[in-house]
Amino acid sequence: MSDGFTTAHLSPRPTNWQQVVSVDLRIDPEPDELEHTLDQFGNAVTQFAVHRPHTSLVVDSTIVVDVEVPPFFDTDVTWESIAAEAAAAEGWLATEVGPYLAHTPQTPALPELATLTVPVFTPGRTIADAISGLCQRIYDEFQYDAGFSDVTTPLATVLAERRGVCQDFAHVSVAALRSVGVPARYVSGYIETEPLPGEPKLVGVDASHAWCSAWAGASGGWVDFDPTNNQMPPLRHPTVGWGRDFDDITPVRGVVIGPSGSQSLVVAVDVTAID
Amino acid sequence: MSLEFEQYRAPVGGYDEVIGSDGVPRAGWKTVARALGALDPAVLLERQRQTNRLLDAEGTGHLVHELTLATDRHGHSAASRSQSHPWRLDPVPFVLESAEFDRLAAGARQRMRAIEALLVDCYGPRRLVAEGVLPPSLLHSLHGFRPALGSPVIQRWLVHYAVDLARDAAGVWRVVQDLTDAPSGLGYALLDRSAFARVVPDAVRAVGAAAIGDHADLLRRALTAAAPAGRASPRVVVLSAGPADPTYIEHSYLATRLGIHLVEGADVVMRAGRLWLRVLDGLEPIDVVYRRIDDPHLDPLEPAHHGGGAGVPGLVWGARAGGVSLANGYGSGVAESCELAALLPDTTQVLLGETLLLPALEPGRPLATSPVFVADGTQPLEARPVVLRLQLTCVGGEIMVMPGGNGRVLAPGDQPGTPTSQLAKDVWVVGGRPAARPPVVAAPQVDFASSVPKRVADALYWLGRAAERAEVAARAARVVSVQLDQDPMLLALADGAWGAATFAMLRAAQGAPSSSLPSGLPLGDALNDELAATTAAAAVQLASLVQEASSVREYLSTTTGRVLGRLARAHAQIVDQQAPADELDIVLVDLAALSGLAMESTVRGPAWRFLDLGRRIERSLAVLGSVEAALGLAVPQLALQPVADAVLSANESLVAYRRSYRSDVDLDAVLELLLRDDANPRSLAYQLDRLREHVAGLGWADGVALVQAASVESIAAVHSNAVNGRRVSLDSYVLAVRAPLLQLADAIVHRWFADPVNPTIVRGQ
Repeated sequence: MSDGFTTAHLSPRPTNWQQVVSVDLRIDPEPDELEHTLDQFGNAVTQFAVHRPHTSLVVDSTIVVDVEVPPFFDTDVTWESIAAEAAAAEGWLATEVGPYLAHTPQTPALPELATLTVPVFTPGRTIADAISGLCQRIYDEFQYDAGFSDVTTPLATVLAERRGVCQDFAHVSVAALRSVGVPARYVSGYIETEPLPGEPKLVGVDASHAWCSAWAGASGGWVDFDPTNNQMPPLRHPTVGWGRDFDDITPVRGVVIGPSGSQSLVVAVDVTAID
Repeated sequence: MSLEFEQYRAPVGGYDEVIGSDGVPRAGWKTVARALGALDPAVLLERQRQTNRLLDAEGTGHLVHELTLATDRHGHSAASRSQSHPWRLDPVPFVLESAEFDRLAAGARQRMRAIEALLVDCYGPRRLVAEGVLPPSLLHSLHGFRPALGSPVIQRWLVHYAVDLARDAAGVWRVVQDLTDAPSGLGYALLDRSAFARVVPDAVRAVGAAAIGDHADLLRRALTAAAPAGRASPRVVVLSAGPADPTYIEHSYLATRLGIHLVEGADVVMRAGRLWLRVLDGLEPIDVVYRRIDDPHLDPLEPAHHGGGAGVPGLVWGARAGGVSLANGYGSGVAESCELAALLPDTTQVLLGETLLLPALEPGRPLATSPVFVADGTQPLEARPVVLRLQLTCVGGEIMVMPGGNGRVLAPGDQPGTPTSQLAKDVWVVGGRPAARPPVVAAPQVDFASSVPKRVADALYWLGRAAERAEVAARAARVVSVQLDQDPMLLALADGAWGAATFAMLRAAQGAPSSSLPSGLPLGDALNDELAATTAAAAVQLASLVQEASSVREYLSTTTGRVLGRLARAHAQIVDQQAPADELDIVLVDLAALSGLAMESTVRGPAWRFLDLGRRIERSLAVLGSVEAALGLAVPQLALQPVADAVLSANESLVAYRRSYRSDVDLDAVLELLLRDDANPRSLAYQLDRLREHVAGLGWADGVALVQAASVESIAAVHSNAVNGRRVSLDSYVLAVRAPLLQLADAIVHRWFADPVNPTIVRGQ
């Protein structure tokens, strides 16, 4: 390829449960243009371009974060009152939660979402119970199938076939919550996967990960859960950032220019605990 | 006055543009009716035919809309025709009283200001969200919402805006839709008026319809003013998706009218935060993009992109950083959503402190009618609703409304936003005082004569080659079939020697590999099959020719446009096998006209040079091919005369030969005339002279060397040594000349034309 443009969401942002210790982003070949900026959701974005012939592009990101496991979430507040609070939000709060009620092309308001939401969002149930119920139900009903979907698979297909990967399950969670009026974020990050007992941890077997964050009102704040692993709160999950859906927080999106030929993208992620 | 409209019956009960509720034509129409004269169906039909011809010459008709051509540059894949038909102009204009136009213009102007304020707010402070007018969840659900990264530099969102209006049956003008992303129709309006004014010039003058041509100058000034700060003489381009775009003709017409380059995605590249035009010798900076590509297809780097790899990667990034201005801004299209349109009354109140002047058209509301000429209708003038499109341009903070525009006629059952009748009306604003012409300020612009985009040079080069190939095939087929018609006994001559030679010549004219005559088939049948194949090959080349021409229409004259229209129709007739017997003769005349226009009506710049390079290379190869095919065979002396006649005719040199050599056929003399006589414009030597001039003019040393290598001097005595029935010294001469010519053709592509640009999106977790 003779020319390449890339937009990357790879630098983690600080959260209540995460401090960013260091970020080291190396790009080879050295970009001719490079710009760091923020997107509308406050995530760090890196855009760069390479304007000379190259056969490969390596983006090597080394991140050190200090992650706490969020406390177990519980509350008496019902999911209906959260939905009502979100709907009535004004001013600053409306700006904070409004975008996460939006139905986007990747998180459409499909009638089929009712198969998940009707059994989960029963009248008078607390928001804490409802979120964990949704997390459990997606974990139980959907099969993890790395070969089934890619970044363009529509939500309807995932819902119909009940299979997919982490980003599909995050989209399902987000769309389900929004369909009942609860604001929800699509969260992009990583997960530390544990080796089987007695086996050494392999480097690079992990991939980037995605999960969901639900709004539990001004008092409860944002509550993360991982439907792929049925974890609430998530235990080993460094966060990169969030948006309405995958398109808002795509880890790497690039355009290469050159004679047509096959382009392949290889992603290797290694998440290691530093004691 | 009602006499003129006796053929027209306005529906009872609803508002009609022409006939008032009292059954009498409205005041403004009286002068118009008088100026147009009797609305006799035959007169109207003739006027429509005349405007159609004028519009076709601009390429609105056959070139793009009726012919969807799919051939590669070697003419291999077949051409196909689509069923879509071109839009047509109603010979009855749409008339607006100037007082009414002024009211509409005030409403449209306010609407443009309100939408500009809306866009500034949605992508900026979001007062509408804070004040509860616009729910943030709604804003973030809108498919056209494109929040930028960082802090974008946007001088102005809407440079050009259009609004569709329809009058309801109660007589109230209402808004159908806003066009804020990449509004179309301005070019069509200018085209329509220019055609109309030529068909009924006296009427346009007598009525005093407001002139609209100034609006093109206004748009150019507005675009120039939109350049990033500090650019001394900003360069503006029109960015188009290319001939496949349904409104491509308009892009091409506007580019010509504004005197700016028409570019496609592959013509430009982002570097160091600036946009650059790929020209023959490098890159030239661009300051403003008048984009006629809607935002989902603009930049594949953007997450909202839908168009595969099409578009300009990094353009939005460059615009956000202030390196290049987009007109309109990326994200302007969000204002086309019906959700935001519904909020416009509140938006206008909050952001401008004004009451919105123009109400919206609700679905299903009955509309007013206008007389519409329907050539094949039960009555010549039918009452149909018309949707009016007004064009607005913001020049230095001042919004100008074009006093005219186009009206689109609704077919029964049409939604007002999506007319299907393909019938347009020219809109006349009458009864106003002639507007003071704004002083035309000559915008500082770069001289484009010398800067030719690589893609344009590429297309012109292949246009030249396709034109020549088409001519070679058509002429060969014509020559052989005429010879055969005149003397069927030629088939039996010298044991089929004439047949074998002309068969080989036809194969060469198609660019097909040489082959021996098919065995088991009578010679006459084999030749007829080959004649049909050669005619088909000519048709494929015609398709290529029209296809290449479509993408560089703004470099070709209007007359050239007409010839191309004729060739496109000829192509269709040949493909449909409806061509009359002498169709190839007509095609040859049109091709000669095309080549004459290229010589006489084209400025001798680099663009012309590449067109002519294509022609000269192809003609050199064709001369060599025909000589090799027909004269390389050592035919008996008995058959030499008709074979030589065929080759000379195929190279349009028979008359010249007879004038110079009043003797029996002499092979050396034939070869001298075809290969070495630099006074014969069909000879190889003549082509090589032109090629030499071109490569020298380009200052291209490699090209000079290759032309030199092709200039082989000696043809050894061609009679002397026939081996296996072939004149081997002639064969080796052809090989020696052809090899460097083919290298030259390759070298032109590699040295001068764009590298293949195939942006591919890569993304993932």
